[in-house]
Amino acid sequence: MANLKYRVLLIAALFAASVWALFPRTVVERVKRDGVFVYDTVQRVPLKRGLDLQGGMHLTLEIDESKQSVANKSEALDRALKVVRQRIDEFGVSEPVVQKAGEDRIIVELPGIDDAERAEDVVQKSAFLEFQITDETQALERAVARLDEIAKAQGIQVAAAATADSGKAPTMASALLTQTDSTKKDTTVAGTTADSAAKPPAPPVGGLFSSNIQPGQIPGQYIVPEKAFPAIDAALRNPAVLAAVPPGKVIRWGVDSLGSGTERFRAFYVLDARPIITGEVLTDARPNTDPVEGNVVQFTLNNEGARRFKTETGKHVKDNMAIVLDQKVITAPTLQSAIGRNGQITLGGGSLQAAQDLALVLRAGALPVPLKVAEVREIGASLGQDSINKGLLSLVVAVVLVIAIMIGYYRFAGALAVLALVLYLAYTLAMLAGFQAVLTLPGLAGFVLSVGIAVDANVLIFERIREELDAGKSVRMAIEEGFRHAMSAIVDTSVATILSGMVLYQYGTGPVRGFAVTLIAGLVASLFTAIFVSKTFFLLWLDRSRGTQTLSI
Amino acid sequence: MLRIFHKTNYGFIRWWRVAAGLTIAFIAAGLVTFGITGGVNYSIEFTGGTLMQVQFKEAPDVAKVRSTLDAAGITGAEIQQFGSATEYTIRARDEKQVEAQAAGAEGVSKAIGAALDQAFGQGNVTIVRTEAVGPRVGAELRSGAATAMLIASLFTLIYLAIRFDWRFGMAAVLSTSHDILVTFAFIKLLNIEVSLTVVAAILTLLGYSANDTIIIFDRVRENLKKGAKGQSLSGILDRSINETLPRSIMTHATTLAATVALLVLAGEVIRPFAMVMAFGVFVATFSSIYVAGPILLWIESKYPREAGAKGRAALAEQAPVRGGRPATAR
Repeated sequence: MANLKYRVLLIAALFAASVWALFPRTVVERVKRDGVFVYDTVQRVPLKRGLDLQGGMHLTLEIDESKQSVANKSEALDRALKVVRQRIDEFGVSEPVVQKAGEDRIIVELPGIDDAERAEDVVQKSAFLEFQITDETQALERAVARLDEIAKAQGIQVAAAATADSGKAPTMASALLTQTDSTKKDTTVAGTTADSAAKPPAPPVGGLFSSNIQPGQIPGQYIVPEKAFPAIDAALRNPAVLAAVPPGKVIRWGVDSLGSGTERFRAFYVLDARPIITGEVLTDARPNTDPVEGNVVQFTLNNEGARRFKTETGKHVKDNMAIVLDQKVITAPTLQSAIGRNGQITLGGGSLQAAQDLALVLRAGALPVPLKVAEVREIGASLGQDSINKGLLSLVVAVVLVIAIMIGYYRFAGALAVLALVLYLAYTLAMLAGFQAVLTLPGLAGFVLSVGIAVDANVLIFERIREELDAGKSVRMAIEEGFRHAMSAIVDTSVATILSGMVLYQYGTGPVRGFAVTLIAGLVASLFTAIFVSKTFFLLWLDRSRGTQTLSI
Repeated sequence: MLRIFHKTNYGFIRWWRVAAGLTIAFIAAGLVTFGITGGVNYSIEFTGGTLMQVQFKEAPDVAKVRSTLDAAGITGAEIQQFGSATEYTIRARDEKQVEAQAAGAEGVSKAIGAALDQAFGQGNVTIVRTEAVGPRVGAELRSGAATAMLIASLFTLIYLAIRFDWRFGMAAVLSTSHDILVTFAFIKLLNIEVSLTVVAAILTLLGYSANDTIIIFDRVRENLKKGAKGQSLSGILDRSINETLPRSIMTHATTLAATVALLVLAGEVIRPFAMVMAFGVFVATFSSIYVAGPILLWIESKYPREAGAKGRAALAEQAPVRGGRPATAR
């Protein structure tokens, strides 16, 4: 029977192809070794595991329009995508995914990441760098009464628990700071104008600003006790308060809290709104360790930037220049002389890694739009491995149970179905590998489930064959009829479920998409194994035992 | 030949009142609990908020976990044991928490992590899983899931309607809708957390249950074609159900075997999925017998086919032109 021979050949060829597709192979991969990423060859089964199985981090970033609306979103997103991609590439993760989703989102997938917080920081940091001169005109002192009034009108006040201490805290602050304040005045703020030296009007007692802020060590710097921080911060975000900030000035918080012992303080800075230069003119940034300054980031400016920087810093010698990253003041050193092309940012107590990360984001450039995290999924590698183990165990148990049921009930025919099931498993997995589909935990569950459903078609056929045999048909006839009659129902099932699967793929997210893909692959494979493969097995058996009048079914 | 339920002759259809009572009671119970407790237990991906799966070195005092979170400003967190005694899930998703995530989804999880580290000591708490979803993404996933359910149901229903003549189609459609309703009631009664994975289970069920009905109706059609003389439609229905009974039992046994393996062995994350699937296997069996059948009978009695061989033949050929006739037949 030539026909039969081709059938067998086709099945065998497909099986061989499946085994080949699933055979562990050597692939070049970025792997982490002793904390460094290197390219290496590894042996593994070419099935892609989703983040929920191998551990890692999924981030959905979204254009943040809470502060200002973005005019050309799609263009901004494209540029942001480029920046994020460059940062991720330099960050060093094996097989990261950075892709656009919708019109205002970027999806970042970082498999096997172990320091999620740092990764998040590197990806999300706007890295918008500004150099701004601190205010020397005591503009805030003059505006403080007005600010107090507005804060009161807006109902912003220090939380009840904190107010009790608020009287004490500023005193402590001033005690702490008077000393340094005076010394500092001698060295750096000596050149303050007569205008600013004039005594500012006495602030009303009890106002939010007047009772909670104290001038800091350098002009334009103000100290707030930690307890009053939330209220002041809220006030500084309030549009009515912002409108009363002296024109041409902006207020920015410092990055860290200061002070020692139990009393903690925050600093904010009043700065010239117009930056001298921004990060756009930066051409390079490198981390370095300076024996005196600690960890620093050294940067280089382009020609135009260098020229502007030199003129501006020349004008402001002895003034303080705040280095502002993403609207937070990193440091505000005193300018000793004009600075040209090369400068450095001192990180204070920052680690070398912090310097590396800062240099990295500055090099990749600022994000053209602020991005916020819209979704995070983070799964530990051990949990992923645990899921794989449990999934495999349930798969094995499901297969064993199904084999027991099929052989126990249908005997010889059941054994043929089991053989078809083995082929089914191989075909399905090979399809997943071939399409580079991602195997997720729900996908694994879908695969286990599909083992139970895959023999469905066989059951349908076998029951039909039994009926035909009961009706007195010959074995060959019964088999023919059984397959013929069961066909339409089998196709129906598959079509109905494939439709569901496709819809699910369209609307689902990562893990559920994995499920949909597994489901669809499983159904296609089971159509083939039930209709074609098991029939071939029956035909083979009929061929081998001509004239047989009994079938063990 | 080992045979179960062979040549049975159960009178399934005459029990339809009992079956209808049961299923209506079940759905009603679901609706009542829905009315009382309000809403469905949606997962983090739908509500927005933060879920953290935390592993403690030794079984922690839940009250301490709660007070730690409260002190950190994470009020109203749901703390639940998850599997073993040292594993807990923390869900922070009251209004304040979700709102805070509009500015950035990661904030709350960082606060929780830091607070736990401080209270229990670094190294004694491991965060094994974090899911933080901003409110906008949550709303989108919710509408996405709803759309998916709607479209998938619609596709299935359209497919069923095309596949059979309108009477069968209508019966199959109603029976499948019934399955979805009952599954919702089940989810509500057991307070199963509805995640995207559970939605996936419901959609899989949709296909599975439609398939069951298709197989029985195929047999009914075949038996009608054979022209069983003098047999009422309910008799034919009963016969068809009895004839397909071994098949139903066997396919459900294999599917159930796989489902139970998942339920018992695949771990906490997959359990809701497996529960819905396991329940669905029973519902599919039940509805293909007790819902699809009686509804078909009811439709047939309301809009009877023309008597005689001509009518039967036309019916067997699924004559689509018949669609217009019932109005006059009334």
